[in-house]
Amino acid sequence: MPGLNFDNYQRNQYLASKGFSQAKATSTGTTIVGCKFQNGVVIAADTRATAGDIVADKNCEKLHRLAPRIWCAGAGTAADTEMVTQLIASNLELHSLYENRKPRVITAMTLLKQHLFKYQGHLGAYLIVAGTDPTGAHLTSVQAHGSTDVGEYLSLGSGSLAAMAVLETNWKPDMTREEAMQLCSDAILLGIWNDLGSGSNVDLCVMEIGKDANLYRNYMTPNVRIAKERSYKFARGTTAVLQTSVRDLLDVEETVIPFGQKDSDAMEIEA
Amino acid sequence: MSRTTVASEYSAEIQSTPIEHRFNPYSDNGGTVLGIAGKDFAVLAGDTRHVTGYNINSRYEPRVFDVGDNIVMTANGFAADGKALIDRFKNQIKWYKFNNGGKKLEMQSAARYIQQLLYGKRFFPYYVSTLIAGLDEEGRGAVYSYDPVGSYEREQCRAGGAAASLIMPFLDNQVNFKNQFIPGTDGKEKRPFEYLSLQEVIELVKDAFNSAAERHIHVGDGLEILIVTKDGVRTEYSPLKRD
Amino acid sequence: MSDPSSINGGAAVAMVGKDCVAIASDLRLGNQSLGVSNNFEKVFQFGDKTFLGLTGLASDVTTLSQVFRLKTNLYKLREERSIEPQTFANLVSSTLYEKRFGPYFIGPIVAGLDSKTDKPFICGFDLIGCIDFAKDFIVSGTASDQLYGMCESLYEPNLEPEDLFETISQALLNAVDRDALSGWGCVVYVITKDRVVKRVLRTRQD
Repeated sequence: MPGLNFDNYQRNQYLASKGFSQAKATSTGTTIVGCKFQNGVVIAADTRATAGDIVADKNCEKLHRLAPRIWCAGAGTAADTEMVTQLIASNLELHSLYENRKPRVITAMTLLKQHLFKYQGHLGAYLIVAGTDPTGAHLTSVQAHGSTDVGEYLSLGSGSLAAMAVLETNWKPDMTREEAMQLCSDAILLGIWNDLGSGSNVDLCVMEIGKDANLYRNYMTPNVRIAKERSYKFARGTTAVLQTSVRDLLDVEETVIPFGQKDSDAMEIEA
Repeated sequence: MSRTTVASEYSAEIQSTPIEHRFNPYSDNGGTVLGIAGKDFAVLAGDTRHVTGYNINSRYEPRVFDVGDNIVMTANGFAADGKALIDRFKNQIKWYKFNNGGKKLEMQSAARYIQQLLYGKRFFPYYVSTLIAGLDEEGRGAVYSYDPVGSYEREQCRAGGAAASLIMPFLDNQVNFKNQFIPGTDGKEKRPFEYLSLQEVIELVKDAFNSAAERHIHVGDGLEILIVTKDGVRTEYSPLKRD
Repeated sequence: MSDPSSINGGAAVAMVGKDCVAIASDLRLGNQSLGVSNNFEKVFQFGDKTFLGLTGLASDVTTLSQVFRLKTNLYKLREERSIEPQTFANLVSSTLYEKRFGPYFIGPIVAGLDSKTDKPFICGFDLIGCIDFAKDFIVSGTASDQLYGMCESLYEPNLEPEDLFETISQALLNAVDRDALSGWGCVVYVITKDRVVKRVLRTRQD
C-alpha cells in the first residue's frame, strides 16, 4: 500500500489517554545557513543530531540532494527532513523527465511547500532550499507549515540566532565564492560553539551557475576527540560466559549436471 | 469538565483539559560532578559549563568548592540552590569554629550536618545532588553523596548531575571492577578490589568527562578537579570540548 | 517512565571491530518494575550476516520482528539471495516511516557484514525510521544513556573479534546493572567472515 499508514494511531491515542506520553523522535536541533554570491549560492550545516539532551549522531548529514544542482539543508525532525527530501527529489526528477527541462529551484520549493502545507505542520521539516537552474541562482527557505521565504542570506534551526549574528555582521552584496564559503562556515561555527543543539563539524555545498554542485562533506572538523589517557582493553576471559554456540558459515559451491551427459561434460556454476 | 481549550498551535485536536498556569521556582543548569575516594586521598571533579536550555551562560563557572577544613563540596543541579547550600554550609563551619575554639570539623560530622541543612527544607527542597569529599579520621579518602532531601551514604565513588547516568556505570566497572573476573577462572573468581593511585584516578576522571562531553550537550568547556590529601586541597584544570 | 517504550525495558548495543561486528542485548522482559521473563532475546537474524536488535515496547518488538521476517523472506524469494545489512537498514527505515503518525515504540539497531566485501556495517534508528549511520557503535533501549557512557569510554577502533567481545560485553553488563528495567541475562553475537559466535553471559539476577 502506498502512502502513510495510520493503523497504530488509535492505539497510540488510547495509550496517551492512559497517561503514557509520546516517545521522542530524533530532532536535529540544528544550525543551517545559506548565502548567495556573485555567481551562485552556498549552503552549510552542522552535523549534530540530538535525542533530548543526548547526542545521537555526532556526524550526521543535514545537506540533502533534491536534484544534481539543487540542494537543501534540513532542520527539525530528522526523519521528516530526510523522507520529505527524498520524496520531493523523486518527484522533481520525474517532473524534469516529463518536461524534458532541468529542474528549477522554484519548482522544488513549490513541491515542498505544497506537501508540507497538506500536513498542516505535523511534518516537522524546516528547510533551506538552494541551487542553480536555467533562471539563475536561488536561495529560499520552507517552514513546516508551508510558508516560504526568499533571501540573500538565511539561517534556520536552534542555532539560527547565533548564525544570523554573523550573517548580519559580515554579509555584503556580490561576494566571491570564497567569501561566501567563509561567511557560511563562520556562521555555522558560531552555532556549533554557542548553541547546545548544534555541534561537531561543518558540511558545506557550493552551487555555481553553469557548473556542477560541489559538496564539501566535513569542510571543517574543529571537534576531533583528543586521545584517551588510558586504554580500556580488557584481558581476554574477563567476562563470565555461560554458554557458547558457533555457527560456521561455509561457501557453497553448486555443480549442475544436465541429464544424459557424462560427468566430464558437466557444467560448473559457482554460487 | 465540559469546557474545552484550544492549544496555541494550529491543532485540529481540541484539548479537553484547561490550560494550567503556575510558578516554577526551579530550573536546570546542567553540569556534571564526580567524586572518587582513594587510599589516602579523595578527588571531587566537575565541569565548568553553566547552561539554561540550549544556551551557555558561562564556560567557566566553578561548581566544586573548597569549604575549609580539608573538605571539598559540590551541589549540582539548580545552580542558585547549590550556591545557597554551599554558602550556608561555609558559614556554619565558620560559626562552628567560633563556638568551639577553632576546632576542625571532621568529615562525618560535616556529612551529618549537611543532612540537617537539606532535610530542613524537606517540603521546598534544594534541587541539587550534593557531594562532599575529604579524608576521614584515619586519613582514608571519603566521599559522601546526598539526595535532594538529605538521605546520604559514604561511598567509594559517585557521579552526579546531568551526565551521571553516563559516568556511573563506567565507575562501577573501572573503580570497583564490577563484572570483571580473573581470566582462566571460568568466571568463578572476581577481580579483587584494589585502590587506584592518584595518577590513575585523575586519568580516569579526565576520560570519564571527555566521554560525557562527547554525548551530553550540557557537559563541556572545562574540567576542574579538586584533590584532597593530608597536605591540603589542590586544583587541576583541563579543557573539555566547547561545542 | 510512563512512555510506551519503557514499559517492558531492555537494552541493545552494536559495535564495529576489525573485519567483524558484534551485537548484543539483555534478556529481560518486564511489566514496569516487575520482571516477567529472563529469556526474551532482542536480537534477531535475517540472513547469514545480517542482524537486528529491537528494544522498546515488547508487543511491537515481537510484531516487528515478524514483519521483518515476512519481508526478508519475500525478498529472498524474489532475489534468490539473502538481504544485505545496508539494504535491510533501508527496509527498516521505510517500514517505520510508513507509520509516521502512529509509530511503533521501538529502537532498532542493525549490525552485519556485507556478503561480498565482508565490510562491517552498523546503524541505528529512532522510532520513526531516521537512520543513524555510525562508524563505531550504536546503542538503544532503556539503558541507552548508560550504554552511551560505557561505549564512549571503553570503545576503541580495530578490535579483534575476541577483544571486541570483551568490550561490548563489559559495556552492556555494566550499563544494564545501572538500569532498573534492563538486565536479567545478556546475549552477545560476534559476526566474522566465516562464523557467527553466540555467547550467553553470566550476569547479576537482580
